[in-house]
Amino acid sequence: MILEMNNIKKSFGELDVLKDISLYVDKGEVVSIIGPSGSGKSTLLRCATFLETIDSGEIKYMDRAAAWTDESGAAAYLPPAELRKVKSCYGLVFQQFNLFPHYSVMKNLVDAPVSVQRRDRGEAAEEAKALLIKMGLADKADAYPCQLSGGQQQRVAIARALAMNPEILFFDEPTSALDPELTGEVLKVIRQLADENMTMVIVTHEMAFARAVSDRVIFMDGGVIVEQGDPESVLGDPAEDRTKQFLRNYQR
Amino acid sequence: MTFWTICAQLLQGLGSSLMIFVLTLLFSLPLGLLVCLGRMSKAAPLRGVMRFFISILRGTPLMLQLLVVCYAPYYVFGCRLTTDWRFMAIIIGFVVNYAAYFAEIFRAGIESIPAGQREAAEVLGYTRNQTFRKIILPQMVKRVVPPVTNEVITLVKDTSLAFVLAYSEMFTVAKQIAAAQTNVAPLFVAGLFYFIFNGVVAWGMERIEKGLAYYS
Repeated sequence: MILEMNNIKKSFGELDVLKDISLYVDKGEVVSIIGPSGSGKSTLLRCATFLETIDSGEIKYMDRAAAWTDESGAAAYLPPAELRKVKSCYGLVFQQFNLFPHYSVMKNLVDAPVSVQRRDRGEAAEEAKALLIKMGLADKADAYPCQLSGGQQQRVAIARALAMNPEILFFDEPTSALDPELTGEVLKVIRQLADENMTMVIVTHEMAFARAVSDRVIFMDGGVIVEQGDPESVLGDPAEDRTKQFLRNYQR
Repeated sequence: MTFWTICAQLLQGLGSSLMIFVLTLLFSLPLGLLVCLGRMSKAAPLRGVMRFFISILRGTPLMLQLLVVCYAPYYVFGCRLTTDWRFMAIIIGFVVNYAAYFAEIFRAGIESIPAGQREAAEVLGYTRNQTFRKIILPQMVKRVVPPVTNEVITLVKDTSLAFVLAYSEMFTVAKQIAAAQTNVAPLFVAGLFYFIFNGVVAWGMERIEKGLAYYS
């Protein structure tokens, strides 16, 4: 098991955003999470990537606990240095790309492997070049993010995450900031990664894409997992009324 | 006294003003960054102290601060006031005052950087230190150049306040000549020199701004 989240609870003040959620991701699995805005999808990803701290529950990467609930009932995390090691298991692609604007495309890809993972600069640069070719951005190595289109920036962001050689890649609405024309080029890259058996968790509003690319689809609403299963059943023939209603509204 | 000897004397005064200017910038920019980090620290007491320190320095006249720095050792410890100490007091007073202003400019710069930058660095496993040094600081520098330029230009003119500690900076010299000659021309010449000085400063800062324009 690459990722295991057990009984995750998270609230912002009075608002319970995640109500006892459990999520498992196996090696090579592509899991899509769909659901209305405010259903807790993004918060779940942010908890999995330690951008938010959980209130209680357990998070395991590669069968090793990174966060757990201690005797007092509060969440405990590994110390920062240990947690940084766990962080090299995963990568996160943001809705807003969040590339480093003062670094060239190449430096965006090479800096973290060199200064965080202490890898050899030459080797990291070779790998970064190969990733850029794969993303169809071989000629953009020396460009700065502001010189690229949104679709190109997002592909660089995917390459930056892949440069860390993660076991699992999270996508937080990777195409929501893009116009329809640019959406296609990003989805194509993600599909290509799925074909290579990259383990991925994708929060998305692209239903057709989720259906085509996922091994499993999770429908979330109101901080709980309402329904999950293979894409054909969840998206084609949902069992729950709430899922049906959501998909009906979506098709309009 | 000819026009040229007046100019020569003013230029000598300008050298003294320049000394305050250079030393103040040299020390107040790094000190400002430290104060800014304290002001944004997680430790509430440190944050409170810095906030208080900044409010005092921004809320009272620089001239008064110079007097306090210069005469406090005499009143508190009974130290003798030497010429060297007067100059030191001027530099300390200017540095501390400008550090307070720079700290607030730096804080605004850091807070204007989107949260996503810090988050992206965090997910990639950068330490807090690396995130600040490699991701936040360079972007902050670019954002603060225009407001820092404002402060630097103000500093050029503020050097004239050193007169309260009997330091012969350019404006003090200009007033002395004007009084002795009963002629206001030296004051205008000094004004022209300040203007040229600031023209050079503005040009330099614009170069820095352009140098950082390779990304947006």
